[in-house]
Amino acid sequence: MIRLCAADEQHLMDVASQRNVYLEGNILKLIESDNEDFQAYLKKAKELDQTNRKKRLDITKQFQAQNKALEKKAEENALLNGELQEALNASKESANKVMEQNKKLQESHSKNENLMEDLQEALEKAENAKKTALNDLNVLQQKTQFELIGNIVNVALWIIVGVGVSTTIMYGLSIWTGHETTLLGNTWSNMFGILLTNSFSIIGTIMGVKYATNDNGHKEKKDTQ
Amino acid sequence: MINSILLVDDENLFHLVFEDACSLLDITLDLQTLSSAEEAEELFKKWHIDSTGKPECVFVDLNIIGSAFDGIELVRRINYEHGNGVVVGIISSSADQEEISRSVHAGAQFWIVKSDEIEPRLESFRDDYEDYKTRTGSFKVYK
Repeated sequence: MIRLCAADEQHLMDVASQRNVYLEGNILKLIESDNEDFQAYLKKAKELDQTNRKKRLDITKQFQAQNKALEKKAEENALLNGELQEALNASKESANKVMEQNKKLQESHSKNENLMEDLQEALEKAENAKKTALNDLNVLQQKTQFELIGNIVNVALWIIVGVGVSTTIMYGLSIWTGHETTLLGNTWSNMFGILLTNSFSIIGTIMGVKYATNDNGHKEKKDTQ
Repeated sequence: MINSILLVDDENLFHLVFEDACSLLDITLDLQTLSSAEEAEELFKKWHIDSTGKPECVFVDLNIIGSAFDGIELVRRINYEHGNGVVVGIISSSADQEEISRSVHAGAQFWIVKSDEIEPRLESFRDDYEDYKTRTGSFKVYK
């Protein structure tokens, strides 16, 4: 325990009465005195100290409670921020996925367009090939027809020439041998007329067929253009 | 009255509350406060060699934020690694039975639940203190 000298005790009591300033803190619990006035001073100082401590304790508790509430709020905010961040990340991820899908769709679209162009080209080539084949077939058919007509004409001409030659020979032999030539002469004359007529008819037919074929060819060329 | 107390708690505001409560209840005149378990362990290492300034009673918070280990581990180290001889217990806002059992195994002698009304619990503790000091009092939870 601590004992102060009488002068110090008086000095402390004077300060208390003049300026209302008292000793405070745990030191008060260690001071003792036989002076009744100073004992009263110590008692009042302890009461004031307890009052102040109680006030401080209450305020500190309030701060503590507010601090805890703030910490709880901060935790809730952190949790909320975390959730918001997660949601933001998820939306960003979704946006990225959508962008990726769009990119893939664009790529597919480009590929499809290229395929369409290729198909268009292939179709054009196929159509050209078809036209070429049809032309070739037409030419082949015409060639075959010309050959057939040529053969018919050749045979017909040979027949006409053969009939003409044989009739002429028979008519000549009759004249040379002095036989009756009236019937044969008329026959030769009619036959020759008929043969000439038929020959020109055949030539005319050939020319007509040729003209018609050329005309069809021109028409087809105009259609394709 | 307890000669000296060491409080280990990361919450500085509770240091003030504890100090005022101890003063008002005449629990002690010598209160030392620390904010980390590591600091406390360092001091106990020192006191293991030279016990000058060693507290008579230690109050340890359960969750000391910013420390490498919790209050129960500090109690265990004080009891089993750095020499016994102090009354040591937990002061926490938690009253989890599992944690309380852990603290008993670590050698804690009491568990005080922190709340706005800490004074009545400290008063009860003060009344039981002599039993803790003489190691005759059993473990008790002050709710």
